[in-house]
Amino acid sequence: MSTDYSVEAPVVAGRLTIAQIEELVAKPMDTKPDKKFYLALTISGSALLIGAVCLLYTFYYGIGMWGNNQPVGWGFGIVNFVFWVGIGHAGTLISAILFLLRQKWRTGIARFAEAMTIFAVMCAGIFPIIHTGRPWLAGYLTPYPNQHGLWVNFTSPLVWDVFAVSVYFTVSLVFWYTGLIPDFATLRDRTTSKIKKTIYSIFSLGWRHSSRHWLHYEKAYVILAGFATPLVLSVHTIVSFDFAVSIMPGWHTTIFPPYFVAGAIFSGFAMVVTVLVFVRKIFDLQNIITIDHLEKMNKVILATGMMVGYAYSMEFFIAWYSGVQFEQFAFLNRMLGPYAWAYWTMVSCNVIFPQFFWFKKIRRSIPAMIVIVLFVNVGMWFERFVIVVTSLHRDFLPSSWGMFTPTLYDFGILLGSFGLFFTLVILFTKALPVVSIAEVKAVADGAQPTHHRGEHHD
Amino acid sequence: MAEDLNGLKNTDPNYWQSFEELYNDPEFLHSHQDEFKEGVSDRLDTSEMSSISRRKFLALLGASAALAGTACSDYRDKGEIIPYNKKPEEITLGKANYYASTCTSCPNACGILIKTREGRPIKIDGNPDHPVSKGKICAQGQASIMSLYDPDRLKNPKKNLDRRFVDYNWKDATDEIIFDLMNAGNKEIAIIAHKLVSPTTKKVLDDFASKYSSAKIYSYEQFDNAVRNSAWKKCYGLGEFPAIKWNEAKVILSLDGDFLGESNNKIENARLFSDGRDVVNKKFNRLYVVEGNMTITGMAADYRMRLRPDLQLDFILSLINALNTKGAGIPINVGGYTLENLSKQFSLSIETLNTLVKDLLKNKGKSIVYAGDHLPEDVHIAVNLLNDILGNKIIYNFDSAPVSVLPLSESVEIKKLVTRMNAGEVAVAIHLNSNPVYHLPSDLEYADALSKVDTVISLVELENETSDFSNFVLPINNQFESWGDAKTRTGFYSLQQPVIAPLYDTRQTEAILLNWISGDSSVYDESIYHKYLMSNWEQNFYPALNSKLNFKQFWFNSLHDGVVYSKDKPESVGAFNIASTSGIKPTEVSNNFSLHIKESYAVRDGRFANNGWLQELPHPVSKVVWDNYAAISPKTANELNLKSDDLVEISAGKDSLQIPVFIQPGASDNSITIETGYGRKNGGTVGTGVGFNANTLINSSSGLTPWLYSNVKVEKVSGKYKLVTAQTVYAFNEGLTKDLPAKRGIIKEGTVNEYLKNSDFLHNEKHELESVNPFYDYTGVKWGMSVDMNRCLGCGECVVACNVENNIPVVGKDQVEMGRELHWIRIDRYYSGTPEEPNVNNQVMVCQHCDHAPCENVCPVVATTHSPDGLNQMVYNRCVGTRYCSNNCPYKVRRFNYFNFRDHFKGGYQESPVFALLMNPEVTVRSRGVMEKCTFCIQRISDARADATKDNRELKGSDVRTACQEACSTNAIQFGDINNKEEEFHTYRNHELGYFLLEELNIRPNVTYIAKLKNTDSEKV
Repeated sequence: MSTDYSVEAPVVAGRLTIAQIEELVAKPMDTKPDKKFYLALTISGSALLIGAVCLLYTFYYGIGMWGNNQPVGWGFGIVNFVFWVGIGHAGTLISAILFLLRQKWRTGIARFAEAMTIFAVMCAGIFPIIHTGRPWLAGYLTPYPNQHGLWVNFTSPLVWDVFAVSVYFTVSLVFWYTGLIPDFATLRDRTTSKIKKTIYSIFSLGWRHSSRHWLHYEKAYVILAGFATPLVLSVHTIVSFDFAVSIMPGWHTTIFPPYFVAGAIFSGFAMVVTVLVFVRKIFDLQNIITIDHLEKMNKVILATGMMVGYAYSMEFFIAWYSGVQFEQFAFLNRMLGPYAWAYWTMVSCNVIFPQFFWFKKIRRSIPAMIVIVLFVNVGMWFERFVIVVTSLHRDFLPSSWGMFTPTLYDFGILLGSFGLFFTLVILFTKALPVVSIAEVKAVADGAQPTHHRGEHHD
Repeated sequence: MAEDLNGLKNTDPNYWQSFEELYNDPEFLHSHQDEFKEGVSDRLDTSEMSSISRRKFLALLGASAALAGTACSDYRDKGEIIPYNKKPEEITLGKANYYASTCTSCPNACGILIKTREGRPIKIDGNPDHPVSKGKICAQGQASIMSLYDPDRLKNPKKNLDRRFVDYNWKDATDEIIFDLMNAGNKEIAIIAHKLVSPTTKKVLDDFASKYSSAKIYSYEQFDNAVRNSAWKKCYGLGEFPAIKWNEAKVILSLDGDFLGESNNKIENARLFSDGRDVVNKKFNRLYVVEGNMTITGMAADYRMRLRPDLQLDFILSLINALNTKGAGIPINVGGYTLENLSKQFSLSIETLNTLVKDLLKNKGKSIVYAGDHLPEDVHIAVNLLNDILGNKIIYNFDSAPVSVLPLSESVEIKKLVTRMNAGEVAVAIHLNSNPVYHLPSDLEYADALSKVDTVISLVELENETSDFSNFVLPINNQFESWGDAKTRTGFYSLQQPVIAPLYDTRQTEAILLNWISGDSSVYDESIYHKYLMSNWEQNFYPALNSKLNFKQFWFNSLHDGVVYSKDKPESVGAFNIASTSGIKPTEVSNNFSLHIKESYAVRDGRFANNGWLQELPHPVSKVVWDNYAAISPKTANELNLKSDDLVEISAGKDSLQIPVFIQPGASDNSITIETGYGRKNGGTVGTGVGFNANTLINSSSGLTPWLYSNVKVEKVSGKYKLVTAQTVYAFNEGLTKDLPAKRGIIKEGTVNEYLKNSDFLHNEKHELESVNPFYDYTGVKWGMSVDMNRCLGCGECVVACNVENNIPVVGKDQVEMGRELHWIRIDRYYSGTPEEPNVNNQVMVCQHCDHAPCENVCPVVATTHSPDGLNQMVYNRCVGTRYCSNNCPYKVRRFNYFNFRDHFKGGYQESPVFALLMNPEVTVRSRGVMEKCTFCIQRISDARADATKDNRELKGSDVRTACQEACSTNAIQFGDINNKEEEFHTYRNHELGYFLLEELNIRPNVTYIAKLKNTDSEKV
C-alpha cells in the first residue's frame, strides 16, 4: 500500500457534510433507547450491583472480607486503584497533549477518551477510600483545619495521591466540560423537547457560536490543555511513588515513574480501543472514528508496550547490578516463585502480544486488535497485581512470608468497578455527544481555508 | 522490725508499693498488722459476719465499674459508672495491687503474683520470692487468667435428669449427695483427683475418708514421672527422682528428655539450664540431645542426633559400652551393643558420638545424663547407674527434694477401681476437677464403668467429658477465687489466697467436701474452708516453724509473701543398688513404627483446651496452631508418599486413629510423635473439636510405657486436613530460598571456640552507614531491648504474657490461616542445613522501634509517630487503616484488625461481658480497622515515669520491665535505657555478639540480638 505523505489524509472519511456530522453524532440523543441499550445497561448494572453488595458486606464486617493479610497489606484494592488510574490516562493524553501537538486525528476520539478518563478516575477514586480499615475516617487524609491541631503527613505518598488524583479528576472534568459547551449549544438548538432544552440551555452557559465566544473558548481550551498536560505525567508518577518511596524490594525502584506513566498510557489506549471498536460500530460512526484512528492508537500501544517491556527488563538488570540480595530475590521470586503464573501472564500480555502490531494488517484488523487490546487490559491488571502482591508476599524476613488468596468479595468488587465504568459509559453514549461535534466539524473536509481551494485528492 | 516478719525481707519495692510505708513505720505496723485489715479479719470472726463482706463488696463494685467502663462497644454510651463513694483503703484507682499466691493449674504449684486492678485480677506473674519458680511462670500459668473469666464456666450446680442437665441448687444437691454418701454402706466411695499438692486438701480428704469409711482416694496425671520415680526407687531404695542442678553441669546428655519443654518442673529447669549459657560471663555448657522428634530441648542442642525413642535403651547401653572400653568401669552387662553399630544402622554421626564419650569421661561429676519421662524403666535405671558411676550424683539437687503430698495411684489401682465399678461395688464416684473419661487409657473403658456407679459427681469449673456421665455437676471456684496451700519441695510451703470473690454461684472444692463431711447442707458458709485452712496451719504447721510472731501476724505475713520456709530436710539417698540393673532386657526391635504420645506444649493434657490464647500459641517447633498432628520425618513421608496435611491411619493394637501428618524436619525415621490434649468432645466453646484425640491410642498394657509404643502401623488414607502454621513453610535447603536467614544476616551464628578466640568475630567488617535523615538527639532515657538468642528456647511464654498484658484477642484458626494473627511478639524459627538434620534458630521478633522507622514517614495521617524516648508509637484514634505502615515494615511486626476480632471469633464469644473484666485497663482495646503493634509496654513506662515523678527522681531504665521480659524464664529478653551506661542492660546492648537485624537498611532498629553460639568442638558452625 503506497501512501502519499505529501498530502494530509482526511480525518473524517466518507465526505460527510457538516450537517451530516451533526446529525450522526446527535442521533442517539434524539432517539429513544432501544432494547440493546437496555440489555447492555442491565448487564453492566448487575455487575455494579454485585460490587455494591460486596462493598456493603465489607463496610459492615471489615476489610477482613477480602484476602488481604500480613504481609500482603494491599491486595485487590490497590491493584484496582492503580489499574483504573492507568486507564484514566488515555483521555487527557489524547485531548490535551495531542491537542497541543496539533494532531487533528484526535478530534474523533477525544471526547470519548476524556469521558472514559473521568469514569475510570471515578472507579479508581473509590478504592483508596474503601480499602482503608475505617473508611468513615477517610477525611483524615485531607488537610483541613481542626481544633485538634492535627495535620496530614506530607512525607507520605498517600497524601500526594489524594492531591494528585483529585486535581487530575477536577481538571479532567473541567476540560471535558469546556469542550462540551459548544456541543451543548448545538444540542439545545436541535432539540424540540422542552425539558431537554432547559437542561441543555443551563449547561451551554448561553453559548451562541459567536466569534467572540469561539475566541474565548479556544484560549480557555489551550490553557486547560496546557494545564492538563503535566498532570498526565504527574498522576501516575505520584501513584508510582506509593511504591517507589517505600523500602520494599520490588517497590523501591527509581524507574517507577516513567515506567508507570508509559504503562498507564499503554493500558489507557488499550481500553479506549476496546470500547471505541464497539461504539463506532453501534452508533455508526465508522466515518468519524475511522480505521486510521484505531491504527494510530495501536501504534501508540505498540510503542508504550515496548517501553513497559524495557522497564521490566531494566528492573531485572538493576536488581542484578545492585548486588542487593533482597532485590535479586524479589525479582527472581516474581519469575520463579509461587506467583510466577501472574508474572508470565503479565509479560506475555504486555510485551509479547502487542508485538503483532508491527504488522499493518493486524493493526488495521478489528478482530485482531480486539484480541490484543483485551490481552493488554488483562496484562496491565496483572502488572499491578505482580507489583503489589508478589513484592509484599515475600519480603525481608522469611518468617513473615505469606500468600495472598483473593476472596469472592475481592472479585465481586473488581467486577463492580467494571460495572460502574461501563454503566457510566453506556449512560454517557445516550446522554451526551460521544464525539465532539464542533471539533469534528472543524476538521471535516472543506471546513478550513485551504490552499487547494476545495479540491479533493481522492 | 520489718526484717523480722517471718524472716523475710521485702526485696522488691516495685511490687509492694502499698506496704512500703507499712514496713518502714513500726507504729503503723503495730496498729495495722493485718494485710486486709477489715476485709479479711471481719470474716474471720463469724459472729461479726455480715452477709456481704467489704471485700466482696469491693470486688463487685470494682468489677461492675470496670464492666461498665470497658464493655461498652459504643464509646458514646458510657452506661452506668459507679464511683467509689468512700475510697477503700487498699485500692487507689489506677494503681494495681499485687497479691502473692500459688498457681494450682498443674502440680508444679509455682508461686505467683496476681496483679489486680480495682478488685479484679488481670495478670499473673511469677512470685520472685518463690524458691523454685523464682518469679517466673509458664505460658499456661500466664494464660490461666483467661480461664477465670471464661464465659463457659459453670454458673450453678446441675443435675442429670434423664440425660438432661437441669439447673439445680446447692442445698438440694448437697442433701441428695449426703444421702447417697451416707447410704453407700460397704460399697466404695471413690474420689478421683489430679495430683494433690495441698497438705490441707489432703487433710480434708482424710477427714472425708474417716467420716465415710468406704471412701478411697485416687489421683492420677496423664503425664507423670511414675516410670522415672519407680526406676529411682529400684536404684536407690527411697524417695523420688530429684531435681537437677542444670547450672552446674558442663555436659548434658538428654535421651529424648524434653526437660526444657515438658511441664514437669520446666521453669526451674529452663532457668538453671540457661545459667549455663551466659555470654556475659562467658560460661557455656554443652547439650547433647538424642531424640525422636524435634523438641524445645532439641532446638537448644549443641549436638543433636535423631533416634526413634524405643531404641534409647540400645543407645544408652552402647554408650556405656563405649565408656567402658575407655575404662569407665560401669558394672552392667551391655551385651553386643556398640556405638559403631548404632551409628551405622541409624546414621548417627560417629564423630559426635566420640566427642560425647570423650566429654562424659572428661567431665566426671560435672555432667548429667537425663532420660525422658516416657522412656521405659530400663533406660532410667541404666541412666541412673551411668550418672552414679560418673560421679554425677552431685549434680542432683538433694537440698530441695520433690515431695508428694499423696503418691499418685499406680495404674494397677486405677484398673482395680474400674473393675470394681463394673462389678457394681462403687456407690459414689467423685471427680475433683479431673477428667478420667478423656485421660484414662481407652482399654479401661472408664465411661462404661461409670454407668454402673450409683452416683457420679463431678466438681468442675467447665463441663468436660466426665461431667457428661455424672449425676451431679457441681461448679467449683477458680484458683483465683480459692484458698489453699501447697507443698511440692522440701524446705518451704506456698500459700494460695483468693483475689476476687467467686464470680458465680460456685464453691471451693474443699468447702464442698467439708460440707459433706459435716453431713448437713446448712452447715456451709463461704469461709468454711478458709477457717479450716487457718486452723490446720495453726495446729499443724505453725508450731513446728518456731515463728517469733503470733499466729495471726504469722499468717498474714505468710499470705503476703506467698511462701513459708520450713525446716524439713530430704532423706539422704543411699548407695546405688546394683541389683536393679539385672532386670534390664534388650528391647525387641520392630520393623513397624514407634509411637510417642506426649502432652501438648500449648494445652498440656487438654485441661487448657478452652483457653484461646493457648490454642493460638504457635507450636514452639512446627508453629502449628489450633491442632495436633502426627509428626513424621521427611524421609518417612517420602517413603509413604505423604505430604503435610495428608490423613493417615495409625493403628496400635486394636486402637486406631485418623490424623493428619506434619513433616517435621529433624524427626527420626519410622517414628510418629503425637501431642495430646486435643480432640476434646466437651471442652467448651473454644476447645471442643479442636484437633484429634490421641488418647484413644493409649493402652494400659501394650506399650513400653503408657506413652511409648514400638509396634505401630501407619497407613495413608484418603483425604486431607488443613493444618495451619503461623509461619510459612518454605524449602530452606534448596532453590531460591536456600539458607536465606544466613545469607540475609538475619541469623548470625558462631561457635564458642570461635568466640573465645576472637570475641569480635561478628563485626570484622565495619561499615559506617550514611543517612539523609536528620538525627534526633535523644538526651534523656531512650528505650531499647536486647534478645539473647543463646538463652531463648522458643517456648512462647513471652507471647502469652504479651497477649495478657496488651489485650490481644484470639482470632481463630481460619484467620491465622489467612495470616491475620494479632500477636505483637512472635518467635521466628529458622531451619538451616538439611531437612533430615536441621539446625534450628529461634528469634524473638517484636517491633524494633527504629530511629528512622519506615512506617512513620508513609502514614498519611501521622498515626504512627516517634516519641522523644525513642518509641515508635501508634495512635489508634487517628489510624485510618491504610496498612501502608505494615507494608513498609521490613520486620512485618505490625498487626491489623481486619475485623472486630472479638466479635468475629466463635460468634462473638470474646464480646461476652465477663471477658471485659479480663482487659488491662491501661491498654486500649482496639477496634476494627486499626493497626497495632508492640509498644514496648508503654503503659508500664508511663506508670514508672509517674512513680519517678512522684518520688521526685529521674526515671531509670531498670524501673521498667516489659511483660515479655518479665515472663521469660531464661531471661533472654532484657529491656532498658540505651543511654544509661551504668545499668546491667548496657552490657547486653553493647555486647560484642550483638547485632541489629537488617542493619544495612539503615533504619536503625533498637532491638539488639545477641548471636547464638554453638558449643561444638569445631570453630565453624
